[in-house]
Amino acid sequence: MTPLKTFLTLITLMASTTFSTAAPEYDFYICAKVNRDYVIGSKVETVNGVFQRTDEGAWVHQGYNDTTLTAVAFDPRDRNVIYTSANNGLWRSLDGGKHWRICNDWDMTEARHVAVDPNAPDHVYLSLPDGIAVSTDRAQTLVRRENGLPERGKYTQLVTIDRTQAGRAFAGCEVGIYLTENGADSWRRVLETTDIVNDIQQSPHDPDHWLATTQSAGAWSSRDGGLTWSPIEGVPRAHSLYNVTFDMTNPDRLAIGSWGLGVLTSEDGGKTWQDRNTGLPEPQRVWRVGVDPSGRLYASVHTQTLFYSDDFGRTWQPDTLKGSLVNYFVTMPKSKQ
Amino acid sequence: MIFSPRGIIAAALGALSFVGSLHAQPSFEGSLPSREVIEDSAERRAAYLARIDEVNDWHIDLASSPGSEVKLTFSTISMLLQRGEQIERCNRRMLELMDPEMVRSGPFWMFPVVIAAHAGRDVLSAEASASIREAFRFKRQLRGDTENHWMMYYVSLYLMSELYPNEPGESWYTGKSSEENLAETRGWLIDWMDITTSIGQGEYNATHYVSEYAIPMLMLATYSSDPEMKQRGKMVLDWLFAELANVTLEGVLRGPNSRVGDTAVVERGRTSASFLAWLLFGNTPPQPAHGGWPVYFATMAKHYHVPEVIYRLATDRSEDILQRDRARTRRYWRYSDQHMPPIYKTQYLRNDYAVGSHQGRISDPIQSHVWDVTWREDDPRGKHPTMFSLHPHDSGKVMQMFFAAYPDSVTGGLLAAGKPSYVEPDKLVGSSPYEKVFQDLDTVIALYDIPAGTDHERVNGFFSKDLRDLIEHESGWIFARGGDAYLAYRPLADYSWTPHLIYRGVPATPGQGYSYERDPTGSQVLVSPHAKNGTILQAASVAEFASYEAFQQAMIALPLEFSLEPTPTVTMTTLRGKQVSVTFGEAPIVDGTPLDYTQWKLFEGTHLNAEIGGRKLTITHGQLQRVLDFNTLTISDTVTSGK
Amino acid sequence: MKLTQLFAAMVTLTTAGTAIAQPAFDAAPPDRSVVQDAAIREAAYLARVNEVLNWRASGATVKTDDPGNLGLAAVACKLALGEDLEDCSLSVIEVMKDPGTGPFWMFPNVCVAFLGRDHLTDEAKAAIRETWRTTRQLRGDTENHWVMYYASLFLMSELYPNEPGESWYNGLTSEENLAESKAFLIDWMDMTTKIGQGEFNTTHYIGEYAIPMLFLASWSEDAEMKQRGKMMLDWLFAELANVTLNGVMRGPNSRTDEGSVIERWNALASYFSWILFGNTPPTKGYGGWGVYFATVAKNYQVPEVIYRLATDRGDDFVQRDRARIRRRWRYSEELSPPVHKTQYMRRDYAVGSTTGGQLDPIQAHAWDVTWDEPDPRGKHPTMFSLHPNSSSRAMQMSFTAYPEPWIKGVTNEGKPSYDSPDKIVGSSPFEQVFQDLDTVIALYDIPEGTRFPHINGFFSKDLVNLTEDQSGWIFAQGGRSYLAYRPLAGYHWIPYLHYTGGWAKEKLPVGGQLLTSPHLQNGTIVQAASVDEFASFEAFQDAIRALPLEFNLEPVPMVKMTTLRGKQVSFTYGEAPIVNDEAIDYAKWKLFEGPHLNAEIDGRKMTITHGRLQRVLDFNTLTISDAVK
Repeated sequence: MTPLKTFLTLITLMASTTFSTAAPEYDFYICAKVNRDYVIGSKVETVNGVFQRTDEGAWVHQGYNDTTLTAVAFDPRDRNVIYTSANNGLWRSLDGGKHWRICNDWDMTEARHVAVDPNAPDHVYLSLPDGIAVSTDRAQTLVRRENGLPERGKYTQLVTIDRTQAGRAFAGCEVGIYLTENGADSWRRVLETTDIVNDIQQSPHDPDHWLATTQSAGAWSSRDGGLTWSPIEGVPRAHSLYNVTFDMTNPDRLAIGSWGLGVLTSEDGGKTWQDRNTGLPEPQRVWRVGVDPSGRLYASVHTQTLFYSDDFGRTWQPDTLKGSLVNYFVTMPKSKQ
Repeated sequence: MIFSPRGIIAAALGALSFVGSLHAQPSFEGSLPSREVIEDSAERRAAYLARIDEVNDWHIDLASSPGSEVKLTFSTISMLLQRGEQIERCNRRMLELMDPEMVRSGPFWMFPVVIAAHAGRDVLSAEASASIREAFRFKRQLRGDTENHWMMYYVSLYLMSELYPNEPGESWYTGKSSEENLAETRGWLIDWMDITTSIGQGEYNATHYVSEYAIPMLMLATYSSDPEMKQRGKMVLDWLFAELANVTLEGVLRGPNSRVGDTAVVERGRTSASFLAWLLFGNTPPQPAHGGWPVYFATMAKHYHVPEVIYRLATDRSEDILQRDRARTRRYWRYSDQHMPPIYKTQYLRNDYAVGSHQGRISDPIQSHVWDVTWREDDPRGKHPTMFSLHPHDSGKVMQMFFAAYPDSVTGGLLAAGKPSYVEPDKLVGSSPYEKVFQDLDTVIALYDIPAGTDHERVNGFFSKDLRDLIEHESGWIFARGGDAYLAYRPLADYSWTPHLIYRGVPATPGQGYSYERDPTGSQVLVSPHAKNGTILQAASVAEFASYEAFQQAMIALPLEFSLEPTPTVTMTTLRGKQVSVTFGEAPIVDGTPLDYTQWKLFEGTHLNAEIGGRKLTITHGQLQRVLDFNTLTISDTVTSGK
Repeated sequence: MKLTQLFAAMVTLTTAGTAIAQPAFDAAPPDRSVVQDAAIREAAYLARVNEVLNWRASGATVKTDDPGNLGLAAVACKLALGEDLEDCSLSVIEVMKDPGTGPFWMFPNVCVAFLGRDHLTDEAKAAIRETWRTTRQLRGDTENHWVMYYASLFLMSELYPNEPGESWYNGLTSEENLAESKAFLIDWMDMTTKIGQGEFNTTHYIGEYAIPMLFLASWSEDAEMKQRGKMMLDWLFAELANVTLNGVMRGPNSRTDEGSVIERWNALASYFSWILFGNTPPTKGYGGWGVYFATVAKNYQVPEVIYRLATDRGDDFVQRDRARIRRRWRYSEELSPPVHKTQYMRRDYAVGSTTGGQLDPIQAHAWDVTWDEPDPRGKHPTMFSLHPNSSSRAMQMSFTAYPEPWIKGVTNEGKPSYDSPDKIVGSSPFEQVFQDLDTVIALYDIPEGTRFPHINGFFSKDLVNLTEDQSGWIFAQGGRSYLAYRPLAGYHWIPYLHYTGGWAKEKLPVGGQLLTSPHLQNGTIVQAASVDEFASFEAFQDAIRALPLEFNLEPVPMVKMTTLRGKQVSFTYGEAPIVNDEAIDYAKWKLFEGPHLNAEIDGRKMTITHGRLQRVLDFNTLTISDAVK
């Protein structure tokens, strides 16, 4: 199927089980690379990119069939304004995915993540392997904003924005977590790490509660809005911790996805952690975990498929999207359109 | 002595023209070439190589066809040797040609033999090669007395000395060793290049003799084992062809010529220059039998790459060209304060016509052409697309200025030497000390002040058979249309008309040189039998005026005053709005400023620029620029940032 | 991750090639004598170009029920030859129904678009144009990807100017695409002509640079970009010519593969030597991508000075050059650290090296001694050692990926040996190399716990008279070269097992063996000489044994010796090598320095010299100057 044919087509991938809860108040999206064996230059054999889950639990492809998307973000004022970070950089659509524009030039590449400031929706943060670029005009223009980041060591996996304050954001970099409180005019390090920071998340229940995971420097927690961080005991450092997630339905529920540890969960706010890999394929190579607005836990297992659990990891069922790698889970207030 | 290739040229051209008429010649007989610019460099190169192959194929085929009576010439032998074909036949023929009875003398014999010797260095039999070498021992070679003779002579001797190094004086006709020959020839060639790149060519813009320079330079570029001489050969070729390209319009040479023939001065497309334009640029038909001598260029032409910037000078005309350049006369031995006085050339080329001139003086004693207005003809073959006037001057003393000869006999020998019109009153070739010419863009004013008692106290004006709508207007102007050009010719004294008669070579009595008969061509000669005289010529493009009448009205309306006594003078406003005032013997004045020719550069204009004494030419077309720097022997190609 | 389509295409072409004989590939080795006559040189070059076009064009025919089976390479050749134009249009329409993405798709597409400008039907041209609206093109993550991507986008934007963003896959107008593409290409040329290439001396990827540059030189309407394309071709080919011996590339490579690192001739670089200089046989299928170069090769004229660099070798020469390492996103103090290369070329053999360390994360080759073989096909004329480094962190430096899937991942992506302890491709941060003329000293200091804690030395099947001397030297003869290899620690032999292709799943014996030395502190000394220099093999051995030599491995490896050329050298791991009591200061090295190629760091200007011929490529003024000195 050509990208033209897939352009904005809706491919319904019905879940293997009926969806158990009432229609959520949120929309739930993933960025997935389904074309597992895709390499640059080869044909795109399957549909990849952004999928939205329908109320019936189906995954509906949206926008462009791109195998390299790392994250998706929306303008909270207008769901037709879509940003995706990708190999080429930042792609933006203003019409719900009908047309796309590459927003960066050759000075930026291999974007790791994109985020929109919910309190300043024209402000877009692009995470790059050599720093951070910011737009203040809905990505019509992008400029590097790296004041305070080190000359070397500013590999940036993501920028996570504090939903409570415009212009306040945390950058996960090679040598630690950096904070800006002025829309990236300047950054300062709030946590020094010995390896790449892979993920930073803000609790949907307590805006001062933040979690971070790293490649080989363990997991970290902050209770003061990210100003100070402390290591999370009980989460081994021996393996890469690819991401962490909260459960918006339960403040005590946390989950970590790891290569080597698989799925780790906590149901006491991070005090204790349990291995939740029973029912998942061996070896324990979880690319991402995510929790949907109903509390369903998802795990994207490397070279396998997407699994879900309705008991927070005690049991697992395979979802569709066979062969997929999910790079990103995102929950948005339900679109009115 | 006035050296001439005499029998050699007659035999070569005569034979080639004759057999050529029996043997189809694709591009000569074919439809006109496309004038489209070829943008793709590979296509350009392939088309160039195809034209070269056409020449070589045609001559080889001619000499190879069953029952052909044509014996192999040096050119055909060279072509066959390079292809490795008919080697035995070449060996046999070479032995015939090197028979002491057959071996000739002089540069027109030397260079074809040297080309064959190098082309055959690895394929000719030892006996055939030895026979060539032997000829350079026993046969004294005349060097000639003209610049192109020396060029051919020294390049030939240089390359033979390189081919046979470390050989004693006894083995060369000069009595000098190979190294002595090399040193002398190299010394002269570098001196010639220095003069030419410092103060200009002596035989500038020659309609035919351009090949007598191009061929030796290509011989150096192709066969010299000295990288420096190879590079010099390449660079001079670029130098010559850049100027050729710049003063051609669709492959036909325009404007003044240091040397031209009675035919080429009117049939402007029938020249060796046009053959080279065809071969290099593909924008005009070649000559019958490829023009004779230029065929030798084709035997080596694959060794030359036409630079894109020069190709575009010839073919990609997006703007009018105004070029003011310097050259020099043939050297004066006597009766002159200067050895090689400067020539100041002006060339103005537009899409439909070209106007070119020099300031008027004796340049070459016999064959020069001072000025003309020529127009574009879709097919130049057989056309006389030119208008000009001249004083038909002949003078034993002038001949003496250039030749080591007695005055009384020298003019008489010219007919036999291939210059039949020299003493004729209706001649159209030659310069005069009594003609002064001024040009501004497409306006020419030629003034004449001929002393009483001078031979031929008259001015001849050429009016082509190809002119249309010729009107002798009561205003005194003669209007006509040539191609897409309007022309206005103003004789400053009374005149009458006589038919134009062309010279046709006929078989000559052996040993008597050339012989000619004359035939009418349909063109006419305006004859103005007044010693004080003048011509004004103004050209314009048909596209500039609503009608022919509108052009005529514009001309008639131009402010014009002139007088012939005491000396001819003209004051007028040109069609381009310039206020000009020209008086015989004085510096022309344009918009109140006298022209100071001494300030002119070697080349100055749209495409070619060089300083006097600079030994460096900058060739420009759009963003493309090639610099030929003889000071460092460097060819530099630059793409400039553009306008 | 980047090579998949390259190999796929090469396999396809190779398969196609099996149907029709490849004249030069199947023939005896070409005559190596220098062609002095410029017209004959040009004719021979054009004949080689036509050989490729005719072979590829005749390698496939359109089936009426499958007009798409030609493929773009055959279409391009047919268009270049003006053959089967209707079939070409049919094929293009079919192929464009299912377009690919990324630079390896883009440049063949552009090639057909330009060659077909005057030949393809309007429908076929429209089909090509439409794919540039509908199909998002990936830019890739490697330097050669970007050069192909931007040259392709630049040319298509020139071909379709003044068109709106909606008509292009990236939403940018033709003018925006032109501006961005031109800016990148100029920036890349600036960087390359100031501090060197990132993918230097590649056995295969030279094509991925030469082809886009030739496309610019052939088709750009921008006179400046046309000139830049020409100049970069001269720049690339001058270096190629200079580091080849009889058409075969020698010495270090920023990127190579399991095949080319031992069968040195079997590389796309050899195809370029063949087509440009005619001094070695072409590779099978004309190197796959090489066919696209041939489609417009008539637009390039091989400069005499470059031709002579490749073919007219008089004296031995040493060339010391700079390059740069692929950019490092992380775990490095420098974005693109410098590479210092030494090449010593003689008639019978060549010695080439970098100073070691981590180069390309996967496919680098740090040093070797290679010898001439009259017919290089199937021969393994090389000797070298390496630490088989295999590190996900090394790959993370250059790629934006997680470490864990990497090592296994790349073995499925065209680099099958990456996870093998007996691999012979790759560089290591624990190897440091010193070269003086034809002496190489490679020292290793491998930390405890490193994967594959040993070094591998490659010994070719084509060596003769291999002798393990009691002195500790291993002597052998390769071609007309004597070789002496001195391992600095204990070793044993294992058969060399070879992955026969990028996608091979098993290793096969192809002859040759590996010297495996399982010691963390380690080293190799190699000394080469020509057989003409000694009365006998024994005389060579005596001379080597007589060389003063001291070494130790603790606390760090160190060698102090007198070379066969009489130099007093001292080299300690982690320290600057000392030659005749003078420490080498690599910081002072120029971009190119040697008898043939010279350029200053940041100069953007290269001087190419052979005898009295000199060509200067000056990117400051976009000038090519040819002089005779």
